[in-house]
Amino acid sequence: MYRFILKRLLMLIPVLLGVSFIVYTILSFTPGDPVQMMLGDNYSEEAYNALQAELGLDDPFLVQYGRFIVNAVQGDFGTSYSTGNPVAAEIAARLPNTILLSACAMLFAILIGIPLGVISATHQYSAVDNISMVGALFGVSMPNFWLGLMLIVIFAAGLGWFPSSNFETWGALVLPAITLSANSLAMITRMTRSSMLETIRQDYIRTARAKGLKESVITIRHALRNAMIPIVTTVGLQFGFSLGGAVLVETVFSWPGIGRLLVDRIGLKDTPVVVACVLVLATMFTIINLCIDILYAFLDPRIRAQYKTAKR
Amino acid sequence: MEEKKQHKTALPEKEPIPSAQAPEALLDIRGLRVEYHTDEDVVYAVNGLDLTIGKGESLGLVGETGAGKTTTALSVLRLIADPPGKIMGGEIWFEGEDMLQAKPARLREIRGSKISVIFQDPMTSLNPVYSVGDQIAEVIHQHEKCSKEEGRRKAGDMLEMVGIPRARYDEYPHQFSGGMKQRVVIAMSIACSPELILADEPTTALDVTIQAQVLELMNELKEKLRTSLLLITHDLGVVAQVCDRVAIMYAGEIVESGTIAEVFDHPHHPYTIGLFGSIPSLDETAEKLKPIQGQMPDPTELPEGCAFAPRCPYATEACRTHKPEMTGVGGTQMVRCLAHQGVFESPELMEEVRHGR
Repeated sequence: MYRFILKRLLMLIPVLLGVSFIVYTILSFTPGDPVQMMLGDNYSEEAYNALQAELGLDDPFLVQYGRFIVNAVQGDFGTSYSTGNPVAAEIAARLPNTILLSACAMLFAILIGIPLGVISATHQYSAVDNISMVGALFGVSMPNFWLGLMLIVIFAAGLGWFPSSNFETWGALVLPAITLSANSLAMITRMTRSSMLETIRQDYIRTARAKGLKESVITIRHALRNAMIPIVTTVGLQFGFSLGGAVLVETVFSWPGIGRLLVDRIGLKDTPVVVACVLVLATMFTIINLCIDILYAFLDPRIRAQYKTAKR
Repeated sequence: MEEKKQHKTALPEKEPIPSAQAPEALLDIRGLRVEYHTDEDVVYAVNGLDLTIGKGESLGLVGETGAGKTTTALSVLRLIADPPGKIMGGEIWFEGEDMLQAKPARLREIRGSKISVIFQDPMTSLNPVYSVGDQIAEVIHQHEKCSKEEGRRKAGDMLEMVGIPRARYDEYPHQFSGGMKQRVVIAMSIACSPELILADEPTTALDVTIQAQVLELMNELKEKLRTSLLLITHDLGVVAQVCDRVAIMYAGEIVESGTIAEVFDHPHHPYTIGLFGSIPSLDETAEKLKPIQGQMPDPTELPEGCAFAPRCPYATEACRTHKPEMTGVGGTQMVRCLAHQGVFESPELMEEVRHGR
């Protein structure tokens, strides 16, 4: 098991190298000159050259990338082109906000989605089932920036229940979290329902019933536990997507998270910040997936056995 | 078999239907009717079935696939999936209680403790994510007040009883072979010392050597625990090994019943005769197997008269229009056949019956 975790953590290295290289390359080929942006409209040729040399932007692309990696490995992500602050500090200031938002959204999606999916499956074709499936269809097909705007219009601007962009209170978290969770909630509900529908028809459910167990015990202990693998997979993927989805939602709600930082700095050609943001998101995505894989082992002894035997 | 039927027309003065005959019945199924409703049509799976099992008795329920055997067994504990299954009528008396009227809570008390089930396929009837020991302990905790340790100890005892070392308590179903899994299922079914075990083709999914072991185990346990057994199978050999009595089922009805000796020595119903005739013998060389001609009737469109008439070599016009009743033919043996009921005479059939096996 520990070997397995270690192996997966080591696999993070090539993933991060690949991701950083791709992002770095894309940024260096997109139009826009950070030096020009930093200097504004009036500058001399000498000033331009001096700044370019200072930032190392006169070196060939691969040298620049190599230098970035060497520094990054030592924990130094450089300074922002646009603000001059250390990149690590900029990210550290924003990351907790994004994690808070995503975690709340996922928690909401899990706490509502799984019970709703279970009820939909055990009461297939009932009113609850039909309503939740139509709702899930909406959740999947609605773009979250649009949903966010609608929620602002109705609950913030119209009813005034929640602030639309003040982050001092917990109430400010409600609308962005709901917006961000809509898609995940829909996916988790649908996956829970279909996975449960499959397991409740299994022979061992009949065995459990023949033992004289209560329906609630059968549903939760015997069926849901077996239905969890695809649900957990969906939760993991959605958590990863929600980090990406946060880019839009954070922009709509002016939420000071890493997603908005990323969007802002792409416009400013602030390469160090952009690459660092992407690396942070990629790392989180990978670690979430690792957690999901570890969770599989807890859920299913057959997978546990595979992890144990797969030592190489 | 001396007192054969001399009468030709009268239906009465025969012994009544079997439900009334056994006063010491543990399980008494009367006129059970079960249907499966699909979008297009209705499958008549069980059609007025009567069955009794005495205390400590083991009854083999034999019939081909689709005869309604499993449906019958599942009906006893009301385990039929609804929808599509529906119990349309009848009574299932168990220890003075009609199971069909029992409330869900009462039903749960009986399931697993007084009546338990051994399902057909051990590969799928155990939950893959819990250890085998815990799955046995679960049924013990459900029905008996005992501490965690006590449940664990008892479940361990059950494993030992079916020949699995206690040390394997914490292993999971995927670590067991098919035969071992079926042992676990059996251990689970005897854990609360039930009065009656419904065994639904317990050996069909197993290979022949393992089959023999499991049958031996079931025989052993049956003697030791004095539990009644309803053994469902399509294998007459299995019945002969384990059961005291046998009931032959065809298209949702019992067509013949009696003790093993009665039915095996002198099968009376043309279907039973055909079943025995289809078993290849070791003594003679045969080019081909001798199957019963034709197929079971479509359960959505059962024939009006005797369900077996379309395949029966002795059938007459009367068979296609009249439903036969269960008729006593001596001893405890009962047959559902118009010829034995005396509606018509069939010397060929009588010759076949007299000749026996």
